[in-house]
Amino acid sequence: MKRKQYTRIGIIILLFVIQILFLLAIFRENAHSYLLAILVASLVLLVLYTYRKGNLHADGHEFESYKIAVWVPAGAVCSYFLNQELGLGPVLAAALTGTLASLLTYIPWRKAYFQHLPPAIYCGAFVGMSDASVATDITFVLTAGCFTAIFLVVSKSVLKGIGGKPGTLAFLGVTLTYILIYIFRQ
Amino acid sequence: MDTIIIIATSIAGALITFLFNTRLGLGPVKSSAWLTLLIAAYFHYCPDVLSPYLTRHIPVAYIGGSFIGMVSARQLSTYTGIALAGLIFSFIYLNTSKLFTGYGGALGTSACISLLVVLSIPYFRTKRKMTIGLLQLRRLIIRKPAQKKRPG
Repeated sequence: MKRKQYTRIGIIILLFVIQILFLLAIFRENAHSYLLAILVASLVLLVLYTYRKGNLHADGHEFESYKIAVWVPAGAVCSYFLNQELGLGPVLAAALTGTLASLLTYIPWRKAYFQHLPPAIYCGAFVGMSDASVATDITFVLTAGCFTAIFLVVSKSVLKGIGGKPGTLAFLGVTLTYILIYIFRQ
Repeated sequence: MDTIIIIATSIAGALITFLFNTRLGLGPVKSSAWLTLLIAAYFHYCPDVLSPYLTRHIPVAYIGGSFIGMVSARQLSTYTGIALAGLIFSFIYLNTSKLFTGYGGALGTSACISLLVVLSIPYFRTKRKMTIGLLQLRRLIIRKPAQKKRPG
């Protein structure tokens, strides 16, 4: 029970930190413009307020099934292949992966299982949207996809129904992989 | 002009996806992916219709806006709130940091931040709260003068 609670707090903090870092990077680059800096600072404060007061998370903490999460790296590889190898670009690659994934819901057998796959595959597709300068090869995409799958498993009850959550998880996966590769290459 | 088109695309992406997601009951993934596929395919195969800047940025702004429209109606159910989130998203997108350029999921993170900002204002969350808020605002503006007591 305690482990679940620690996991919940951990993933909430992780999501919050990555979003604040994202905003702070904008703040740093636009510090010369007072208006822009004030606007970004307001966004940081409002996000902080929503995390503290908003009804963003489900009451109990549940984990996503690993049978669903294993499809995240598959979505990442598919999107990466369409994006980098076929040269379709990130948006078309992710949209095509998401469209193909959504067709799985029309498979007549094991409907309960197939209905849960499109969000996981679409989440993976965001990893595959990475630029060639970030996602240098398929190993990077697979690793980032696996990290994203782990984040998807532990964040089932967090930010419930908020659009952009799968994207944030993918961003976490990509950033973590990038940092790890950077550390190991030093 | 290009900036206005990008802002309008983000807002339209959010509103159209939300409409398909909640009102037409397509669900978040189909609503986002299907429509984005049409727009991205059009600009990929017809790159000379608009300027190179718009051809590059319209599909990205649309898919980013569509992530906002994937929100559950339990969390946010007003079109004003969705449009405002689209506006905030376009602000983040237009000023996004070079540090995170090319990172997969950056658009989703921007969309999530935009939604969290809108959710900090309870007024936009549901139609009921919005109506109550509007009534309170009207009561504040058009306050009836207190009736004077007649002497005697």
